[in-house]
Amino acid sequence: MNAPHPWMSLLSLAGRECLRVTRLWTQTMLAPVVSSVLFIVVFGLSLGGRISGIGEIPYDVFIVPGLAAMAMAQAAYSNNSSSIFQARSDRYIHDVLSAPMRPWQMNLGLSLGGAYRALVIGIAVLAIAIPLTDAPVERPFALALAALLLVVLFGALGTVIGIYAETFDHHTFVNNIVILPLTFVGGVFYSIEVLPSPWEEISHANPIFYIVNSVRYGVLGTSDVSVGLSFGVTAAIALAVVAWSQYLFATGRRLKA
Amino acid sequence: MELHGTALSIRRLEKRYDDGTRALESLDLEVPAGTFFGLLGPNGAGKTTLISAVCNLIRVTGGEISVFGHDVASLQARRMIGVAEQDPNLDRFLTVREALVYHGGYFGLGRRRALERAEEMIDVFDLGAKADVRAPKLSGGQRRRLLLARALLHEPRLVILDEPTAGVDIELRRELWRYIRRLHEEGTTILLTTHYLEEAETLCEDVALIARGEIVARSAPEELKRRFGVDSLEAVYMETVAR
Repeated sequence: MNAPHPWMSLLSLAGRECLRVTRLWTQTMLAPVVSSVLFIVVFGLSLGGRISGIGEIPYDVFIVPGLAAMAMAQAAYSNNSSSIFQARSDRYIHDVLSAPMRPWQMNLGLSLGGAYRALVIGIAVLAIAIPLTDAPVERPFALALAALLLVVLFGALGTVIGIYAETFDHHTFVNNIVILPLTFVGGVFYSIEVLPSPWEEISHANPIFYIVNSVRYGVLGTSDVSVGLSFGVTAAIALAVVAWSQYLFATGRRLKA
Repeated sequence: MELHGTALSIRRLEKRYDDGTRALESLDLEVPAGTFFGLLGPNGAGKTTLISAVCNLIRVTGGEISVFGHDVASLQARRMIGVAEQDPNLDRFLTVREALVYHGGYFGLGRRRALERAEEMIDVFDLGAKADVRAPKLSGGQRRRLLLARALLHEPRLVILDEPTAGVDIELRRELWRYIRRLHEEGTTILLTTHYLEEAETLCEDVALIARGEIVARSAPEELKRRFGVDSLEAVYMETVAR
């Protein structure tokens, strides 16, 4: 028997997930980038001229970080939920579960495809949006941290839903009924300061509001709430969801009969 | 390869599913290293549940399993097991070659070694013409070959074959058995479940009959025939588990 290569299991699983994303690139990467760029063109460049800026920021620039965050969140979530659901449904997840991997390696390996997909989309959206709108990147390190927390949070959420889902509809339900609406009312297209009471206060209960603001701080250097609070809330939710997914892998609940 | 000792040790294994179904009932089983071992029983007897427990695919509710002295949950134990499940469970996104290389990676093989082994397995199981074809486009027989190739790729010491020849034509069946026999001659322990009793009688040195989650008889096929005063393993089967 060959001596095992210590990191090979994790690298192979992550490699398989990334290969799946790359192989389906028109669905997994091109489509979300095109739709985000269309949002920027339609809402920012076409209608944006009729909307006064948010504070001193032109409207087309203001919406760029939120749209990038929205595209990344959906990509990280839907990639992991669909990949894991398919692996369970076709039972090729047995090849992973029977392999000499620790639960955290399975969890991380299966999640990295979503992170890869989301980061490629985020970079592509910004690479197209910046020359189109002259949006700056004021705080690159904060932007990198915000993007990391975002992909961890939504990737882990996708993993959890992929494990619980019993039909393909379950995973699309969470995306369409929970993530997308919360993203739209999470300040992607407006600053919550323009909202009347009590909507402004209610918006603070939306976790996606903090995530959008973390990314916005990285791009524009401004945020509707304190930067520490934005990053703190995002990190706390990410940690909780990662702990949930790790619990499922460690116990085998829902993964094994 | 070490041929003495115990390949698989199962003590008081219990599995109760969430709906209350009791699939295994305080089951004890020892499979000596290097044995060609047959596990026979009707559908629903607990064979697949037992195999799934050994392969870390179900949550057992009681008992202990060790593989070559290592707890079944340990990475060492899992590295020593190769399993070909009854129903093809192949990754639809990967080609034959990729499925083998990634499997090798999951089991800790370096990239170069995984590629070498993949090419060997493609050659042995005559999958060369389909090496760059994805699983959904393979025929039933080719999928079965790929399942076996995948199970053997990381050179496990304990190979578990759950109905490996179900739905396979006679030519392929003979070919598969030729290869599995050779593996066994080289010292690999084989745990086989099959409904083809004449196959089990010819191949297996040791046989256990399982019914309602319990082992009801266990010995060499000749000894079982002598004990039950019959002339075939099929008759032993009818006497024990088919009652």
